[in-house]
Amino acid sequence: MARYTLQRFIYMIITLFIIASATFFLMKLLPGSPLTNQEKLTPEQRQIILEKYGLNDPVPVQYVNYLKNLVQGDLGVSFQYDNRPVTELIGERIGPSAQLGFQALVFGTIVGLLLGIFAAVRHNTAGDYAATVISVLGISIPSFVFAALLQYYIGVKLQLLPVAFWEGFEYTIMPTLALSMGVIANIARFTRTEMLEVLSSDYILTARAKGVSQAGVIFKHAIRNALIPIVTILGPMAVNLMTGTLVVEQIFAVPGLGEQFVRSINLNDYTVIMGTTLFYSALLILVIFIVDILYGVIDPRIRLAGGKK
Amino acid sequence: MNKLDYQNLSPELFQPAPVNTSDQEKINRPSLTFWQDAWIRLRKNKGAIAGLIMIIILTLMAIIAPMTSDYSYKEQDLKRAKLPPKIPVLENISWLPFDGKDANGVDVYEQRGIKEYYWFGTDDLGRDLWTRTWYGARISLYIALLAAVIDLLIGVMYGGISGFYGGRVDNVMQRIIEILVGIPNLIVVILFILILEPGIISITIAMVITGWVTMARIVRGQILKLKNMEYVLASRTLGATNSRLIFKHLIPNVIGPIIITTMFTIPYAIFTEAFLSFIGLGIRPPEASLGSLVSEGYKSIQTFPHMMMIPAIVISLLILSFNLVADGLRDALDPKMRK
Repeated sequence: MARYTLQRFIYMIITLFIIASATFFLMKLLPGSPLTNQEKLTPEQRQIILEKYGLNDPVPVQYVNYLKNLVQGDLGVSFQYDNRPVTELIGERIGPSAQLGFQALVFGTIVGLLLGIFAAVRHNTAGDYAATVISVLGISIPSFVFAALLQYYIGVKLQLLPVAFWEGFEYTIMPTLALSMGVIANIARFTRTEMLEVLSSDYILTARAKGVSQAGVIFKHAIRNALIPIVTILGPMAVNLMTGTLVVEQIFAVPGLGEQFVRSINLNDYTVIMGTTLFYSALLILVIFIVDILYGVIDPRIRLAGGKK
Repeated sequence: MNKLDYQNLSPELFQPAPVNTSDQEKINRPSLTFWQDAWIRLRKNKGAIAGLIMIIILTLMAIIAPMTSDYSYKEQDLKRAKLPPKIPVLENISWLPFDGKDANGVDVYEQRGIKEYYWFGTDDLGRDLWTRTWYGARISLYIALLAAVIDLLIGVMYGGISGFYGGRVDNVMQRIIEILVGIPNLIVVILFILILEPGIISITIAMVITGWVTMARIVRGQILKLKNMEYVLASRTLGATNSRLIFKHLIPNVIGPIIITTMFTIPYAIFTEAFLSFIGLGIRPPEASLGSLVSEGYKSIQTFPHMMMIPAIVISLLILSFNLVADGLRDALDPKMRK
C-alpha cells in the first residue's frame, strides 16, 4: 500500500510540474509583454518595470525563479487588479465557489442516490423509466442552459427565489440546484446500475429468504456493496463541478473563483489566468490522487495490480 | 381396452428409425453476423432509434438549412433586429410561438411592415437566427466528427500498440498516459486558446492533445486481455503473423468497445465546445456556435426568450440524441455490459 501511494504521489508531482512548466512556456510564447498597452512609458520607466518583475532575465533564469516562487506558494501579481498578489485574489474568491461546490455535491449525491435506488428497486416499471429519463436529461442538458432556464422561470417569472447575487442562503439555492443537476444524473445512473447488479446476487436472496425486510435488504445489505465503485466517478465529478462553477457563477453573478477566472480571460490578465489554472489543476490532481488511494484501500485488486509493476 | 402384451411383443414393432444424417446438420434459422445481431438488438431500443432519427434530421438540417436560406449568417440589418420567429402555415396555430408576435402579443412584422418570414426570428443585430442556429449546429457536428476521428486514429493506435507490444514500449507509453490523464481537459483547451486566437483551430488542437486518452486506455486494456487468450496462442502456434493476429483476431474483438467509447466521447466533445463558446473562449461572433448563440440570447432572455430557447433546445437535443444512441449501442454491441 505504501509503495502504491508513493507511486501515485510521484505521478501527481510530475503532472503538476509539467502543467506548471507548460503554462510558463506557453505564456512566454504569447506575443507582446504585459506593458504593451501602456504606451506612455518612457524607455527608462519601461526598463525599471521590466527589471522589477524580472522580465529582463534570460528565460531559463525566469523559469527557475518562477518554479522557486511556485513552490513557496507565490503565483505572482495581477496586471489588472492593482498589482495584487494572485494568491490573495484566489483566496478572496474561493469561499463562495467552495460553498456552492460543497452544497451541490451533498445535495446532488443524496438526491442521486435516492433516485438510483428507487429506479433499481422498481426495475422496469414506470418509476424506473421516469428516473432514467431524468438522469439522461440531466446528463444531456448543458449546465449553462439549465442554469439560465432555472433563473428565468423560477427567479424572473415565478419570483420564488432571488435572481442573482450572493447575499444569504436563499441566494445559494438556485446556483446549487443548477450545479447539482449533473451530479444527480451521474450518481443516479451509476447507483441504478450497481444496485441492479447487487440486488440480483445470491447473498441478497439469502437475506430475503431469512426474512429481512425490503428496507433492511436495501440499506443494510445492498447499498454498501453498490457504493464501492461510486468512488471511481468522484474524479470526473470534480471536473464536472469545476466546469459548472465557471458558468453558473457567471449566470447568477456569484462572486466566486469561476466568475473571476472567466473575467480575467476576457481581460487578458495572464498572471491571474496562469495562477487560477494552476490552482484548478492542483485541486483536480489532488482529487484524482485521493480517489486513486481511496480506491486502492477499498478494492485490494487495484492495489495489487499497481504494485506488481 | 387394447392393452399391449408386454410379454410377447412382436419383432415387427422394432424397426430402426430412418436416420437422415443431413437433417442433423441442418441449420433451421438463418445465421446472423455480429452486426446483424447487434442491429436487431439496437432496433428494439426505442430511445436509441429515436436518437438516431434525431441525429439524421439535425445533420440534414445543418447541411441544407444554411444553403437554402435567403440570409447569410453574418448579414446585419438593424431595422430588422429582434424579430420574433414567424413560420408560414405554423403562424396560424395559436399555441405555437411562431406567429411573429412578441411577448406582449404585438405583431412586430406588421408593425414594421416586414413581409419576409424569419423562421427563428432575428438577433439584436438583425441577423437571421434560422441560418445562425443551423450554422452553429454545423460547428457542433464538425466537433463531433473531429472527436470521433481523433479517438479512432490516435486513441486506437496508441492503445493498440501499447497493449500488443507490451514490455518496455508499453511501460513508457503508459507513463505518458498517466501524466496526460491527470491534466484536466479544460485547462489544456484554455491554455491553447490563450496563445492562439479563440476559435475552431484552438479547440481542434486542444482536442487532438487530450481527446484520445480514454480510448487509448480502453483499447490497451482489451488488447492486453485478448492477446493472452488461448485462441490467439493457438493462432500464433499455427504460424500467424503479427498483422494477421491484429487484423483478423484482435481488432474484430475490440471493435465493440471502440465504437461505444467513440459514441460516448462525441456528446462530451459537443458539450465542451458549446461550453467554451458560452464563456467566450470558443467561437466568437460573427461566426455562430450553439454555445455562443445561447450566450447572446441569454442577455435578452427577459424580453426575447426565443433568442436563447431555440439554440438551447437544438444543443440539448443534439447531445441527448448522441447519448441515447451511445446507450443503445452499448447495450446492443456488448450485452454483457447491459445496464
